[in-house]
Amino acid sequence: MNEKKAAILGEIPRLRRYARSLLRDRDSADDLVQDCLERALVRLDNWQTGESPRRWLFTIMHHLFIDQMRKVNRRGEAQMLPLEAGEAQAAPAEQVESIASREIIDALQAISPDRRAALVMVAIEGFSYAEAANILGVPAGTLMSRIARGREELRGLLDDSARRRSIRVVEK
Amino acid sequence: MTRRDFSERDIHMALDGELPGEERMAYDSWLETNPEMKAKSVRYIADRAALRAAFAGVMDEPVPARLRQALLGEATVRAAAWRSRWWLSAAAAVVLVAGGLAGYVAGIDGIGRGDGADDQLAEQAIAAHVIYAAEKRHAVEVPASDKDHLQTWLSNRVGLKLVAPDLAAEGFQLVGGRLLPAGHGKAAMLLYEDAKGERISLFVTAESADKAKGTYMAEKDGPEAVYWLDKGYGCAVVGSLPRERLAAVAKSAYGQLLAGLAS
Repeated sequence: MNEKKAAILGEIPRLRRYARSLLRDRDSADDLVQDCLERALVRLDNWQTGESPRRWLFTIMHHLFIDQMRKVNRRGEAQMLPLEAGEAQAAPAEQVESIASREIIDALQAISPDRRAALVMVAIEGFSYAEAANILGVPAGTLMSRIARGREELRGLLDDSARRRSIRVVEK
Repeated sequence: MTRRDFSERDIHMALDGELPGEERMAYDSWLETNPEMKAKSVRYIADRAALRAAFAGVMDEPVPARLRQALLGEATVRAAAWRSRWWLSAAAAVVLVAGGLAGYVAGIDGIGRGDGADDQLAEQAIAAHVIYAAEKRHAVEVPASDKDHLQTWLSNRVGLKLVAPDLAAEGFQLVGGRLLPAGHGKAAMLLYEDAKGERISLFVTAESADKAKGTYMAEKDGPEAVYWLDKGYGCAVVGSLPRERLAAVAKSAYGQLLAGLAS
């Protein structure tokens, strides 16, 4: 195994985590990671050794994700995206999620892909604003407003699901 | 005292570690005097902790075998699915193409060898390549981002079960495809591009009664076609690549197309 591939291998857990936060379904997320790795291999020469492969790989994966979102929208399959994921889609059997985790994962899926990516990039993956803006290819101001809107939206959705849960409890 | 006015925007910056260190104390005292903002900050901190916790487990999962394989260049699981069943016929086909190329390289080429169906196919394929591969923005009708639709559409029009070969191992990514006239029928053209922007195309038609294979060049220094015909289909791979590379691409494309046709 050469040096570059070894460095990329070390990034796979992070790429999978990011993909999972973007797509929820485990297989779809791993498909995205696999596409990313395949594209990275083709462009291996574009990446200088010594430079962290993380930003490079996240940039490749983000482009693939955006392409995929566009495709879904164009084909009119946007309704396949779980807007009310809690109801519309059963949690994958192999994933043991607490109620809190499931609610926040569902809520994250319900916000717009652009805001989701920006928020996850900073809040989970720990990139700086400058790094995240660079990876997502947007100005810093756009990134900041996506993060702020994303957080507000997420909070609203979490409040909604908490409310629904309490109504269910009352109905029992 | 605060040197500047803080706003909700600063809550995000503080949370994301983007607030300059020297403003931190002033920010904290601002937060203490604004219960509404303080509540927001507390809430966002809790949401972030929940987000991180929800995805923390992914980091501990073992890397799936198919991802290791995709990276380390072993056979991918996706490709292996057909290889298990179509290995023998694909392998046989590859030998035929390689044989044809070896013949060409040895100087027994097909240039000016008359006007058979094979030459017609190769000429059409080269003509299409010359026109469309040069187009930057309008090279294809359906882009690769819509690959499933592209395959279904071209399959229906051409009358063959077409699978766009994955040529990533050869350095080529699918750009997309288009439908073209070919003889009395229709042909599918699939366009690929490598990291340097070099393009090759695959030209597939259902019209063929001959059985032939070879390489063809319409003019000196022009793009070259590697083609093969069998009962019911003909295919050409066209590009201006070094011969060895074109041969490797054609070999890979042929194996995958054949597997797709038979599936």
